[in-house]
Amino acid sequence: MNQTVVSYLSQYEFYDFLLALFRSNQGVLAFTLYLLLALIIVGMCATIGGLGTYAERKISADLQARIGPNRVGPYGLLQMLADGVKMMTKEDIMPFTADKKLFYLAPLLCLTGVFATLAVLPFSSGFIMADLNVGIFYLVAISSLVGLGVFLGGYASNSKWSMLGGMRGASQIISYEIPVTISILAIVLLAGGMGFGTIVGRQGGLPHEWFMFHNPFAFIAFFVYSVGALAETNRAPFDLPEAESELVSGYHTEYTGMRFGFFALAEYIEVFVVCGVAASLFLGGYNVPGIKLDILPMQAAQFVIFMTKTLVLYYVVIWIRWTLPRLRVDQLMSVCWKYLTPIAIFNLMGCAIWMVVFNGKSIAELVLGSH
Amino acid sequence: MFLQFLFISSAVLTVSCALGVLMVKNIMHSCVFLLGSLMGIAGLYATLGADFVAITQIMVYVGGVVILMLFAVMLTGGNDFVSRAQNLLGLPASMGNKWTYAIGLLVGVVFLLTNIQLIRGLTKALPVKTITNEFPSTVTQIGHLLVKDHVLAFEMSSVLLLGALVGAAIIARPRKQN
Repeated sequence: MNQTVVSYLSQYEFYDFLLALFRSNQGVLAFTLYLLLALIIVGMCATIGGLGTYAERKISADLQARIGPNRVGPYGLLQMLADGVKMMTKEDIMPFTADKKLFYLAPLLCLTGVFATLAVLPFSSGFIMADLNVGIFYLVAISSLVGLGVFLGGYASNSKWSMLGGMRGASQIISYEIPVTISILAIVLLAGGMGFGTIVGRQGGLPHEWFMFHNPFAFIAFFVYSVGALAETNRAPFDLPEAESELVSGYHTEYTGMRFGFFALAEYIEVFVVCGVAASLFLGGYNVPGIKLDILPMQAAQFVIFMTKTLVLYYVVIWIRWTLPRLRVDQLMSVCWKYLTPIAIFNLMGCAIWMVVFNGKSIAELVLGSH
Repeated sequence: MFLQFLFISSAVLTVSCALGVLMVKNIMHSCVFLLGSLMGIAGLYATLGADFVAITQIMVYVGGVVILMLFAVMLTGGNDFVSRAQNLLGLPASMGNKWTYAIGLLVGVVFLLTNIQLIRGLTKALPVKTITNEFPSTVTQIGHLLVKDHVLAFEMSSVLLLGALVGAAIIARPRKQN
């Protein structure tokens, strides 16, 4: 069965207390809990997205020997609030010839696609909104709404820059979905399931128990996934849909105020989601090294572990952005179709053969003897 | 109660968006309505407990087909191609003349009657029983079915897809000048 956060909480005593509070109405209580936790997760991830913009500027400043934002709040930490207020109070301009309905719809599609992925992101073994049997598949499928939002945003603006940016965005996202999905499939093969609970549960806390170091093919798959995920989230060096030097700002050139903010927020949260997926698929996810207990304080430790891994990857993504130059469009496509996709398919077959030949044992188990 | 809510909202989404596809004049808007309709169908699958099929519906149609349609519409003229001509019923002329409408109506009536007959038979014959399932999830079940019972169809469809892929590569390949 599909595990959910509510079914996890129901094993504790305070759930019975809450149930008594709701006069034993299971459905209403479950709905309330879901609503509350969804608000918490969305709020938390929106904050992380907002802090992402701050981190981006601060880290880029570090890399370029500048200081970065330092005026608003301690160390400039409240910069994102200032930006938010600025975006809210800006005039909402729409081009006269824009396709109005689609113009309104596009940023919402982007944001919906990203927030919907948060439902299966495993923050800890209990704090995962819904541990679907098809978790990772759901994540890959629903995040294609982002590509649609990018495309429609480019189309509806009715401007040359936006159109080019939107078309680039859609083609890039569709193309890079393939190596990313095949890399994920290799991990699904190792784990024997598509649910995040299964995938993370098959790994351990220590590096030699991670799927990344399970076999050489999974090691390569991690890098294929990382490159593909960078391209899927339109991050540099693959940020061609919004290439400033050619397309002004790409698909969101015509967007102002909070509508632009939605696009930016969606991008930063998507980077967080992608990093979280990489952490839970390849880097052992929320597993705490050495300890296997099923008590409530353990969840906090797992949450910290997961966030640490994810934010380290987030740092690397920003680091890459401010280090590497942008690719050309033809280079982008040849990287995807001529290099990443064949490598990903090779990895998939390699993992399959490894599972058959070594009976599903990892390198560490083969070397250290199985336990 | 939640399942009922899911079913009703999915059904309303599916039907209203399907009507929207037909009613709006702008072909890009039609595509977006189609997206809503397909999402609604995914919701219907989810109501039936077919989680894998529901996600595949989103993956294939939302992630692939609708984006492809939008691309095709945009590259072939997009919004400029709005049919202004109308027939007697006030519908775009390109949708057909009175003969096509008559044939469509006839087919619709026959289809409806057949379906009513089928559904009546089903509701009577269907005994209420709990389905025992030895598989832990639908994914496992589909996997078992694909590589055991329906392996021939599975392999044949993969060969078909490979053929389509090779064909696309040949068409897209730049021709040699000689």
